[in-house]
Amino acid sequence: MSQLQTEVLIIGGGIGGAAIARELSRYKVDATLVEKGVDVGQGITKYSSTIMCQGANVLEFRSEYHNSRLVWAGMPMMEPLCQELDIPFKKIGSLELIENQAGMKHPEKMLRRFKDWHGKYLPADIEPLRFIDRDTLREWEPNVNKKYIGAVYDPNLAVNDPVRLTIALVDNAVKNGINVMMETEVLDIAVGTDDFEVQTNKGSIKCRYLINAAGEYVNDVARMADADDFAMYPVKSYQAVLDKKVGGLVNSMVLTMKNGMVSPTIHGNLFFGISPGTQRLGRAHDHSTDKKLADAALKHAQTLVPAISEKDIINAFVGFIVFRNFEVGWHECTVGVSRWVPRFINASIGFPGICASPAVAKEMIEILRQEGLNLEENPHFDPYQKAMPDFSELSDEEKSRLIAQDPRYGHVVCRCETVTEGEIVEAIKRGARTLDGVKFRCRPGMGRCQGGFCGPRITKILSRELGIPEEEVTKKGGESRHLMYKSKELLEAQR
Amino acid sequence: MKLKDIDVAVIGAGPAGMAAAIRAKEAGAEHVVLMERAEELGGLLHQCVHNGFGVLYFNEDLTGPEYGHRFIEKVMDTGVTPLLETMVVRLDKDRQIGAVNTREGFISFRPKSVVLAMGCRERSRGALNIPGSRPAGVLTAGTAQRFVNVEGFIPGKKVVILGSGDIGMIMARRMTLEGARVEAVVEILPYIGGLIRNEVQCLHDFDIPLFLNHTVMQIHGEERVEAVTVAQVDGNRQPIPGTGRTIECDTLLLSVGLIPENELSIMAGVQLDPVTGGALVDETRQTNINGVFAGGNVLHVHDLVDNVSWESELAGESAARFAIEGTQEGRGKIRVTAGRNIRYVVPQTISGARDTTLYMRVAEPEENVRIKIGDIMTKGVRAVKPSEMLKIELTDTHLKKLEEGTGELVINCEKRGGK
Repeated sequence: MSQLQTEVLIIGGGIGGAAIARELSRYKVDATLVEKGVDVGQGITKYSSTIMCQGANVLEFRSEYHNSRLVWAGMPMMEPLCQELDIPFKKIGSLELIENQAGMKHPEKMLRRFKDWHGKYLPADIEPLRFIDRDTLREWEPNVNKKYIGAVYDPNLAVNDPVRLTIALVDNAVKNGINVMMETEVLDIAVGTDDFEVQTNKGSIKCRYLINAAGEYVNDVARMADADDFAMYPVKSYQAVLDKKVGGLVNSMVLTMKNGMVSPTIHGNLFFGISPGTQRLGRAHDHSTDKKLADAALKHAQTLVPAISEKDIINAFVGFIVFRNFEVGWHECTVGVSRWVPRFINASIGFPGICASPAVAKEMIEILRQEGLNLEENPHFDPYQKAMPDFSELSDEEKSRLIAQDPRYGHVVCRCETVTEGEIVEAIKRGARTLDGVKFRCRPGMGRCQGGFCGPRITKILSRELGIPEEEVTKKGGESRHLMYKSKELLEAQR
Repeated sequence: MKLKDIDVAVIGAGPAGMAAAIRAKEAGAEHVVLMERAEELGGLLHQCVHNGFGVLYFNEDLTGPEYGHRFIEKVMDTGVTPLLETMVVRLDKDRQIGAVNTREGFISFRPKSVVLAMGCRERSRGALNIPGSRPAGVLTAGTAQRFVNVEGFIPGKKVVILGSGDIGMIMARRMTLEGARVEAVVEILPYIGGLIRNEVQCLHDFDIPLFLNHTVMQIHGEERVEAVTVAQVDGNRQPIPGTGRTIECDTLLLSVGLIPENELSIMAGVQLDPVTGGALVDETRQTNINGVFAGGNVLHVHDLVDNVSWESELAGESAARFAIEGTQEGRGKIRVTAGRNIRYVVPQTISGARDTTLYMRVAEPEENVRIKIGDIMTKGVRAVKPSEMLKIELTDTHLKKLEEGTGELVINCEKRGGK
């Protein structure tokens, strides 16, 4: 077992850890990020919806809470960040639908709040909210249920791909000198006077500062160091992705407090889900969907957009959030130094974590400074990443040019999403080690057939590129192999 | 051959595409291209190593690869030009095709006519919306079939199969022969989804338990499948509380229906039949888009490959005629519609001017019935099942009974005898 020494150790490769690592890479600092999984962004980040910049619903937050400040501060940071990292970002706006006169109370309260808070809590560059009437609503969203008499329009809401953002943040952090260790699980933490000794499955790591960004495991990690004793309440919702052929049913996200939301995704699919009200308490680390939630979510979605059909669902998953405090719900987060252990900093963002992450990262720099870390600017910091080619988005000429450079771009492997072998090889070159790793980088298997056709072909490419046998290729690391035996192996075992 | 000279372009080189291309060539089209994204001709026939192919078409009991090989040879002999490893990514209303391959990059051309022969795909777990966790080990039966028969791997050794479609039952037998244990085949309906011969030869002969009126309620396991919960369902296909039981397994195979692959057709503006999921066609297999024809499983999911071949030959012949003559004589105006216990009929319109075969499926199994084609024909059938296609030939004798101006022919499946 090896021993590693690092100044700052970040535990967790979700959106929080990734954003912090990348922010730290602006400075001359010896920092390491450990992730227990085979890939980054595969915990709560993956389970989040594709909403990047929350809009009006953050007005529900109470102004005195830390989380609210982080979310509001994070809102205007997201678009420039995505530009630097070459990540798609699209403002689609949201429409909170109003059913009747009685239903006007809530939107009116929101609009009042917006006026009061704009420039005070909410950054001034956030665009104002406004009412739209029935006719405008029908013109903008002809497929929305005709019973709604209007909506509150929030132009700020944007969609993105949180897993791709996490991957790009980590890639950029690595490029700027941060050390990243995958499949490295923290098992125990010993607290010394000047440092921590962190036991992992890959050996021990000594560090002076420890950032606990372990997502849904944040309390487990905190307890290892007796750093804090907070409970986490996992809250489950249900989200479904629909075929791209119905991606145009709505142009903006449409929602009500009661019925959840229906929205286009950044990739052109349709997406619906029920918001995780605090009544949806789940078991810790249980990410399984259940029929009751699924049925309820579909009914709610059909209330908003009657043309939604179960037939068009291509995938469904749980939305998963851990709340720090069940009573207070999503208004509270835990970003700050442990109450008992100096230099042990928790970074549990709460909801909506994606949106708040850039602000959390900036705040983390200040916290580290206050805890005594000397941070000098990294003169070689390069904020830019280049996204890998997206074949399906290229013009005909660009397609031909790319194929001429590398014929593997002329070999379409995933027919639903038109993903080529060239892209898959590039994804593997950029760190994909599993079927999911390839999928989250360039989308093969995310389409309507869900990998039925391309699965065996991508398994082959992974096997070839990584130099491992096909039966060792996994869906998402660990024991998640698709192929357990070679032909005739079972028969020979029975003989 | 230059791209601009292409008469007929067939998209997809499975059994449908091969039959269409061969017939188009035989019917006089000079330049016929057969476009296929895979490395070889034959489509899924390669992985169907079981027998039962060609019993009607060749009067012989062949395996899938054998059946495919006969057509592959004919493709070569007749002078059809295969365009392999070429993925059609675009089809416009005016039949302009865009495709990519590793050799020429992006190619674009406008053939005189097009045959859609893209086949179908399997419904996935997502489309079924089965609740539970998301582990490895949940595969469609066809994907498992490819792994076992082509790639040389076995997905797991304790298997539950959801759905009793033909591929599912065939894979139950195949996995058993490979040394795996099939714990159960679970079917939500009161009857199997595939052919009787497969129920007998694949399930009964291997003592594989079949649970009708049951479904998978939940999938368990974080990394790999560990178990599934199976429950009985009521008449509305809803699980009956208290009937759930957990079956330990490492693999769940899905055989729960096939969906015609019509993304290109939609791009071209082809109108689809909401029941079949395939194009609306007349008896020449022409879609609503001039010069665009369809045949095989892309049009409607067939029971036997023999029927796929025959239907696609018709599409290929019509496409050749269109390419040569430049137009199509009078389109079918008479709507053929599904009445009592008929789920769908293909073609959806006929002209009444030429002999034609109607392909249809019933909605529910029934015995002692008669199929009534409007007032022009009646045919007694001992038993009908949704899994078996009914073929009814309308010849001049029947068609001349059509009254002038008939707009619709309703097909009914009626009870015979006393009641």
